[in-house]
Amino acid sequence: MNLKNISIALTVLVFGVIAMLFMQKGNYVNQAREHYEMTTAKSFKGNSMVLELVNNAIDMNKATWAIACEGLQTVKTSQDMARLEAKFFPATKGSMNIANKTRRFEASTANIIVSNFAKVEEDKKTGVKSLAGLVSVDVSVLLGKVAAPVETEEGADEEGAEE
Amino acid sequence: MDKKKMKILVVVDIVILVALIIILMTLKGGYEEQAKRTANEQETSYLEKNTQVLVEQWRSIDQYSMAWKLVHSVLSGVKTEPAFNTTLAAIEADKDARFKQISHLYTGAGINENVQNGIFQKAGLAEGSILIKGDKNSKEVACGKDCVIKFEFAKGKLKNLDYSALVQFNLSKSLKIEKPAEYHFE
Repeated sequence: MNLKNISIALTVLVFGVIAMLFMQKGNYVNQAREHYEMTTAKSFKGNSMVLELVNNAIDMNKATWAIACEGLQTVKTSQDMARLEAKFFPATKGSMNIANKTRRFEASTANIIVSNFAKVEEDKKTGVKSLAGLVSVDVSVLLGKVAAPVETEEGADEEGAEE
Repeated sequence: MDKKKMKILVVVDIVILVALIIILMTLKGGYEEQAKRTANEQETSYLEKNTQVLVEQWRSIDQYSMAWKLVHSVLSGVKTEPAFNTTLAAIEADKDARFKQISHLYTGAGINENVQNGIFQKAGLAEGSILIKGDKNSKEVACGKDCVIKFEFAKGKLKNLDYSALVQFNLSKSLKIEKPAEYHFE
């Protein structure tokens, strides 16, 4: 009877192995699918984010450039510049520096332009000062030059003087 | 069942078992190899396609940045055709400044340096000149994907400058990252 038990056990084992044979393909396919889905999902998420963040940044960047370039074409006074700023950024206002004769517009820390004017004008009735005669628009921040725009450097010749 | 038949059954079972185990081992290697290979192939192909979109975006931003710089320089300086040519050549040649300007936009967007360098290594800078039409009186400049700006000169002086395409520049419709397709074992 011992032989009978062995033969039954072996037959069961044969069917077991046949079942394994069919299952193993499924296992490998699942493992591969899991790996593929994980890798591609990560790439999809990461790259989509980069694409979107840069596309969003373009919106603010192009509007700041547009103020600088349109300003060069149409702006004469600081009031003109303020109107132009409001056209592209209704919620953000530029700030004036009467002493330096500049108007600085900061849409964000990465998007800053500084307009330089020739003279200060004063309204005789109200006493309000404004700037007139646009000379240039400094876009060095937009160009990625790290230093914030400063006033024109003077005395470069003096650097060589030792005493 | 008599003893003799039992014996035959045991022997047959053992033979089948051995054969099955051999088949199992052989197929195992084959399935494993095929699963790894197909997954790798499909991953690589997707990642390449996917990264290509960022490469295109980077090169577009290079052209876009040069175009703005050109418009600003032309409007700031002497508005003549020779000055345009000189300015354009200088902007295109200054590769460090080009990288800096792109990188500034990406940094402002919140993309860190490692990611930027990764894209830059694959994309480099936009190839060729952004000047796509260079007649004496009429110039057309590429300013990124699907973006062209126009400079018109009369007697060597700037008569008209149309950079509305730059003001409306938008990549969100032209560049898309597709979702990964289903994995196929075959």
